[in-house]
Amino acid sequence: MATQLTGLAVLTLLTATGLAAPPVHFGRDVLPILSDKCFYCHGPDESHRKADRRLDTREGALAIKDGVAAIVPGKPDQSDLFSRILSHDAEEVMPPPKSNKTLTPAEIDILKRWIADGAPWGKHWAFEKPERTALPAGSKGQPHPIDAFVQDRLRREKLEPSPEAPRHTLLRRLAFDLTGLPPSQEEARRFMADTAPGAADRLVDRLLESPHYGERMAMWWLDGARYSDTDGYQGDDVRENWPWRDWVIDAFNSNKPFDQFTIEQFAGDLLPGATPEQKLATCFHRNHMTNGEGGRDPEESRIDYVIDRVNTVGTLWMGLTLGCTQCHSHKFDPIAHVDYYRLSAFFNSIDETGAAGKGAKPFLEYQSSRGKAPLEQARALLTQRAGEEKAARLKADAPFEQWLEARIPEVKKGFKAWQPLLGALESSEGTELNQAKDGVIQAQGPNPSQDDYRLTAQTSLPRITGIKLEVTPAPDGSVGRSATGHFILTDVKLQVRRPDTAQVREIAIRGAVADYSADPKKNKGYGDVKGLLDDDPRNGWASVGADPKQARTALFALAEPLILAKGEELIFEMRQRSTLGDANIARFRVLATDQAGPATTRIELAPLEELAAQSVADPAGVEPALRARLFEQFLADHPPYLVAKTAWERANRQFKEMQRGNEKLKVMVLAEKKVPRQTHVLVRGLWDKKGEKVQPGILPAIAPWTEGEETTRLGLARWIVSRDNPLTARVMVNHLWQFFFGAGLVRTPEDFGLQGQQPTHPELLDWLACELMEHGWDIKHVIRLITTSATYRQSSHASEALLAKDPSNRFLARGARFRLPSWMLRDAALAESGLLNSTLGGPPIRPYQPEGVWEEIFMGRLRYEPSEGALQYRRTVYAFWRRSAAPTFLFDAAQRRVCEVQSQRTNTPLQALTLLNDETYLEASRALAGAALKHAPNDTDAALTEIYRRVLFRAPSELELGVLRRTLAEARTHYRQDPQAARQFVAHGQDRALPLNKAEEVAAYMLTASLVLNLDEAITHE
Amino acid sequence: MNPLLTHSEAVTRRYFLGQCTGVSLGAMALEGLLQNAAASEPERNAVGGLTGLPHFAAKAKRVIFLTQSGGPSQIELFDEKPDLAKWAGKELPDSVRQGQRLTAMTANQKQLILPSRTQFRRHGQSGASVGEWLPHLGKVADDICIIKSMHTEQINHAPAMTFLLTGHQLPGRPSVGGWASYGLGSTNRNLPDYIVLISKMQRPSDQPLYDHYWGNGFLPSRYQGVKLRNSKEPVLYLQDPEGLPRELRRGMLDGLKDLNQMRQNETGDPEIGTRIRQYEMAYRMQTSVPELTDLSDEPEETFELYGADSRRPGSYAANCILARRLAERGVRFIQLFHPDWDHHSRLTSWCTARCRDTDQPSAALIQDLKRRGMLEDTLVVWGGEFGRGVAGQGDWQSPEAGRDHHPRCFTMWMAGAGIKPGLTYGRTDDFSYNVVENGVHVHDLQATILQQLGIDHERLTYRFQGRDFRLTDVHGKVVKGILS
Repeated sequence: MATQLTGLAVLTLLTATGLAAPPVHFGRDVLPILSDKCFYCHGPDESHRKADRRLDTREGALAIKDGVAAIVPGKPDQSDLFSRILSHDAEEVMPPPKSNKTLTPAEIDILKRWIADGAPWGKHWAFEKPERTALPAGSKGQPHPIDAFVQDRLRREKLEPSPEAPRHTLLRRLAFDLTGLPPSQEEARRFMADTAPGAADRLVDRLLESPHYGERMAMWWLDGARYSDTDGYQGDDVRENWPWRDWVIDAFNSNKPFDQFTIEQFAGDLLPGATPEQKLATCFHRNHMTNGEGGRDPEESRIDYVIDRVNTVGTLWMGLTLGCTQCHSHKFDPIAHVDYYRLSAFFNSIDETGAAGKGAKPFLEYQSSRGKAPLEQARALLTQRAGEEKAARLKADAPFEQWLEARIPEVKKGFKAWQPLLGALESSEGTELNQAKDGVIQAQGPNPSQDDYRLTAQTSLPRITGIKLEVTPAPDGSVGRSATGHFILTDVKLQVRRPDTAQVREIAIRGAVADYSADPKKNKGYGDVKGLLDDDPRNGWASVGADPKQARTALFALAEPLILAKGEELIFEMRQRSTLGDANIARFRVLATDQAGPATTRIELAPLEELAAQSVADPAGVEPALRARLFEQFLADHPPYLVAKTAWERANRQFKEMQRGNEKLKVMVLAEKKVPRQTHVLVRGLWDKKGEKVQPGILPAIAPWTEGEETTRLGLARWIVSRDNPLTARVMVNHLWQFFFGAGLVRTPEDFGLQGQQPTHPELLDWLACELMEHGWDIKHVIRLITTSATYRQSSHASEALLAKDPSNRFLARGARFRLPSWMLRDAALAESGLLNSTLGGPPIRPYQPEGVWEEIFMGRLRYEPSEGALQYRRTVYAFWRRSAAPTFLFDAAQRRVCEVQSQRTNTPLQALTLLNDETYLEASRALAGAALKHAPNDTDAALTEIYRRVLFRAPSELELGVLRRTLAEARTHYRQDPQAARQFVAHGQDRALPLNKAEEVAAYMLTASLVLNLDEAITHE
Repeated sequence: MNPLLTHSEAVTRRYFLGQCTGVSLGAMALEGLLQNAAASEPERNAVGGLTGLPHFAAKAKRVIFLTQSGGPSQIELFDEKPDLAKWAGKELPDSVRQGQRLTAMTANQKQLILPSRTQFRRHGQSGASVGEWLPHLGKVADDICIIKSMHTEQINHAPAMTFLLTGHQLPGRPSVGGWASYGLGSTNRNLPDYIVLISKMQRPSDQPLYDHYWGNGFLPSRYQGVKLRNSKEPVLYLQDPEGLPRELRRGMLDGLKDLNQMRQNETGDPEIGTRIRQYEMAYRMQTSVPELTDLSDEPEETFELYGADSRRPGSYAANCILARRLAERGVRFIQLFHPDWDHHSRLTSWCTARCRDTDQPSAALIQDLKRRGMLEDTLVVWGGEFGRGVAGQGDWQSPEAGRDHHPRCFTMWMAGAGIKPGLTYGRTDDFSYNVVENGVHVHDLQATILQQLGIDHERLTYRFQGRDFRLTDVHGKVVKGILS
C-alpha cells in the first residue's frame, strides 16, 4: 500500500509537471474508464451482461472465449478489447455506437499502456481501507497536517496559497460554518478585541461549545435522514417525531461519538437496558415517507419503507448508490442483487404494517422536556391577547351605545334586513325561469334531470354580508319539481362581474345554515346545507325526509363584507347536479343583506328587525337579550374589536398546539416483530415477485463480517462503523469538509463507487478518515482540525489567473466563496436584526409563508397559520416541514422525500424575489432600521454604518456609504411626500408598537436595510 | 462604460463558456450551475440548452400538457364498446383479467361488468367516436389524434402520475417539462420556461397534486416547473410589499447593483455578475407576469369560445386561455392540472361534472391555436395517469356505482406539431381491458413528446449517482404511427 501511494504521488507529480507519460495506475486511471465505458454491459450485473464477457474482474478479462481474450497481458495488439476499441466497423467497435459512449485518445492511450504493463489489477480506491500516509516532505517545521497535504498539491500545481482572510471575514465564516448563524454582537466585540495570537482558535472553541452548533449540524443530518413533520403521501398526516430531531441536536452538542451515534439510531432498542432516548434514536429509520393511499396494498408500502432504509444507509453512511441494486446487480460496483436483499433483511422484521398516519406503529410514548419553553412563550402571548380582547370589548361599549341610539329612530318606521335580488335569469339546460316583482322566481317548462340556475342582479345595498335563499312551494304545492316534490341542491356560487371586463371574481362564503337539513346518511349523501360550499356534486342540501310543501330557508354568510363598485353585478349560481337527478327547485327567491353578525348566521329575525318590532323609545328600553344580540352584531362590524378577537383566537390555537407538545407523544421508532419475517430477493425489485430466500447479511465486497457478531441491526451498525469498513469514515469526513469548503474532497458525496468522482486530495481524505476513527469518532475534533488550518482560513478572493487555472477551487489555493444555504439566510436575518428567539428544541413552528400555499395543494383542506409572538422568530431547523408542500421561503433545499447529501446551489430570479419580498426579510429589515435609528438617531452615516456592521461585520467604505446615502435619500424624499405609503411599508411583521410618527424615517432605513440584506456579500460564505 | 465594471466584466466574459450577456433564464441558470462545483456540467449553447440540441429539427416549439389527474374513464369518454351491454352485471372472465392486480378498494368484491354509462357519437370526417359527455371535443375530432392503447405499470395515483411525468414511480426524478428546458434552454427573456397551472376547485381533496409532479428531481432546482398561482401574486414573492412603489424598488435595485459590482471587483467572483442579472430578471418578471395573467385585454369572443367558466380566474377554462398566452410568449413547456377525475362512485354525476369543467375549454384551445397558426408547432397532450376498469365498483346497477383504477389500457389524445390529425390509434379488447393493437406505454409517450421537441430520448441524459439517467429509463419507443 505504501509503495502504491508513493507511486501515486509520483504519478500526479509527473502529470502536473508535464513530463513523459507517467506509469498507469489501475484504480486511479484504468478502472474509471472500464467502469464508465464497459461495465454497463460487461460488469457485475449478470442479468445484463453481453456476450458473457465480464471486464470487472481480471479472470473475466483474461478468459478465453471463442478463442480470444479481451486482454492479453503485455500484448495490446493481441487483446480483443484493444482491437475492438480501435475498430472502424460499426458492428465491431466498442463501445457500440448505440451506447452513445466514446473513448478519447487519451483514454485509449491509458488502456494501451496499462495492457502493455501487464494489465495489473487492483481494487477501486474507496473499497481499500484508508491508511495514514506520512505528511508530504517539504513541509517546514511542524505544519498543520491539512496544510501539509494541501500545500504539497499546490506546489505541484505551481500555485501559491492565498493570504489569511480579513478578521471580520474569518469571524463571520467561522460563525456560519460552526453554528449556522452570524456571530452575535457580543462575540464580534470579543473576537475583534482579542488581538493576541490564537484568537481564531479560541473563537473556534467557543463556537463549538455553543448550543447552536448542534442545531447547525442537525440541519445537515435531518436532510440526510429525510426528516419531516408529515407522512408525505395522500392525506399527508402530521407526525409527532420532533423529539427525535431534538435528540439529534443534543447528540451533536454533547459530541456523541459518531460510532455510538450510528449504533443508537440503528439499534438503540436492542441495546441492553435501552433508555427511552436510545429507543427514540431509532426514529431515524422511520423518517421515510408513508403512503396511506386507499388503493395501496399495505405490504407494498411496507416493502417501500424497507427499501428506503437500505438506500438511505447506502447514501448517507457509505456513499453507495445501493438503489441501483434493488432491481438487478450493480452495473458498476461489486454489489450483487442478492447482497441488497440480505442487507434489507436487517430492516424487514420491524413490527410495522405498512400503514401511515396513526396506524404507523411501532410507536414510543415519549414526553419531551423541550416543550416547556415554547409553551411559556405561547402562554405569554395568549395572556396578552386575552387581555387585549377583553379591553377591546369594554372599549366598544361607548361606541355601541351611540350606534344603538342612532338606530332606534332609524327603525321606527319598520326595518327590513333582507332585500330581494332582481335581475336576469339563466338556466343551463333550458328550464324557463320567471321572476315576479317581489323577487320570487318560478321554474317552468322543461324539467331536465340536472340543471344550473343563475341569477345576475344589481343591488343598491352599500355592501353585502350575506345571501338568503328561500325555497317556497310552487302553486301546485311542492318545493321541488321532482316526482316526490323534493329538491336537491348540490352547490352554490357567488361571483361578481365587473362591467368593463369579461372576467368574474369569486366571492368566498364562510358558512351556511338552514332551517331544515335532511340526514345525509339516509339520503345518499344529500342533506346538509354545508355541502353547498364544496364544489362536490356528491353532497348538498335537500328537503327529503320532511314535508315537501314546507318552505325552506338557507343563509350564507360571506367571508368578508362585499362592496360592489359602480356597475358591478352579482351572480348567484345554484347547481343542481345530484346523482339522483330529477330534483330541481320549483320556486325560490334570493335576497341579500348588509347586516353583520347574527343576521347572516341564524335563521330568526335580524336584531334590528326585532328592535323595530319592539318599538322602544331609547337605548335603556332595550331588553337585555336583544341588547346582547345587538351588541354581538355591533362587535361583528367593529374593526378594532375584530382585530383583537381574531388575534386572541389565533393565540389560543397556538397555545393548544404547544400544550400538546408537553403531553406524551407517539414517536415512530423501531421494534422487532416477535416472529421475524422471511426475506426474499425481489425479482426486478417488485414487491410481490418473491425470489430466493435470504438471511441477513452485509456487502462482502466492502468489508468482512466479524465472526460471532449477532445478525441484528446492532451487528449491522457495528459493521458500518468498524475499522474494517473502508467507506464510513471517509464518507463522513467528506460530508464535514463540504460545510467548510462548499464541496467535498470527493465531489460526489453520494457516490464513492466506481462512477463517483475521485478525491481531489486522496491522502488528505484518508488521513482525516483515520484521524476520525482513531480519535474515537470525535466529530468536533475533526471540525477543529479543519477550522484551525491555514487552508480553511485563506481569503476567498480570486485573481483572474487563479480563476482561469482553477475555476471551481479544486486545489484549494483560496478560501471557499459560495452562497449560504437558504435556511441560514433566514436565521441570519433574524439574528442580525435582533429578532431571533434562540430557544432550543420543542414542537415545530411555522415561519411566515405567502397565503394559500397549502390550500392550493389540498384544495382547501389544510391551512397554514404562521406562528405568532416569539415563536415566529425561532430557527429554521424548527420550521414545520410538510412534505407535499415544503417551506416556500427555502430554496435549493433538500426535499426530504428521500435521503439527500449533495446540496444544490443555483442562482435564479425566484430566489431574488424571495429575499426581496418574503415577510421575514421585510420584518428583519424593519427591525434593523429600528436598531440603526436607536443607535444613531441623528447621524445618518452612523446609522447606515450600524446596519452594515450588523450584517457584514465591517464598516462600509466611503464609496459604499455613498450608495447607501443615495438609496436612503431617495426613499426619504419619497416617504416624506407620501407618509401613508411609509406607514404601509413599515407595517410588516408583528410589532405593532412602532413609533408611527417616525414612519417615514423608519421606512427609508428599512428599504436601505433590505438592500443590505440582499447584498451578495450578506448572503455569501466569504 | 462604468469604470467599476471593466475588470469584473472581463473576468466574467472569460470565465463563462460563451457570451452571457443574453439574459435568458436558461442562460442565467447555466451561470448559476457553474457554481455547483460537484457537477461536471456539459457545454451549453447561447440559449442555455445543451450543445448539440436539438438533435434534429423540432416539430414542436412548445408543449401544452393538459393533465387530467385521477384517471378519467376511457369507457365513458373514448373507448366505445357497444357489445358490453350484453355483459352487464356478469362477471369479468378470468381470460380477460389475466391476474390483473386490483386496488385494495375492490380486491374483495366480484368483478361485475358495468357497461358504459354514456352513448357515443361519431364526429367529423375521421368519424372518431367520442362519448356524449364531451360534445365540444367532437367538434375538433379531425384535429386530434386519439390514442386508445395507452398503458402503464402503476395502479395507484401518486406512483402512476409520478411515472407518467418522470418515468419512475417514486419521487426523485425530473419531470418531462424539466427535461425539456434542461435540454433545450430558453428563448424567453422574461418568463420561466416551464410553467404549471392548477385548476382552482372548492372541493377539499386528499389527493394532493404533489409538487414533485413538476419537480426538477436530480436536475438543478431551476428546472423545476414554476407554478402560476391564481392569486394576486401569481408567482410566489412576485409582488413588492405594500408601500413600496415601483420607482423606489428600481432605485433600491440600482443601489444593490452598484454595491454588488464593487464586491465583484474586490473578490473577482463571477457568480456576483450572475446574481446581478438574476435580480434584474426578477424585476422584469414583476411586470411580465401580471401582464400575462391579466386577461382584461382578451376580447369578449375569447371567453365565449372557452366557455362561461373561463371568466372565473383559476378555472381550468381560464387556465386554457393562459396556456395560449404563455405559448404566444414563447414558454417552452406549459402544464395544466385538473384534479378530481377519480370516480370510484356516482360515475354519472361526478364524471360529467369534470367533463363540464374541461370539455369546452380543451376543444377551444385547439381551435384557438389552429386559427392563430400555432397548432402546427404546439404539441397538445390530454390525459391522466391511468384509466378505469370495466367492472363496477359498488353495486353496478345503482347510480352509486363507480369504477376502480385500471392501468392496462387508457386513452389520451394529442394534437398539433406533427401529430397525425383525425387519427384514432391503437385498439383494446371487447372489455376495454387489455390492449390488443399498437400499445403505447407511458415511456413511449414520453419518447414521442421529446421527439417532437427535437430530442432523441436516448441521448438526453444526466449523470446522477454515477448513472446516466434519462426520462424513459432504459425503455421507450417513439410512436411512429401517429407522426405525420
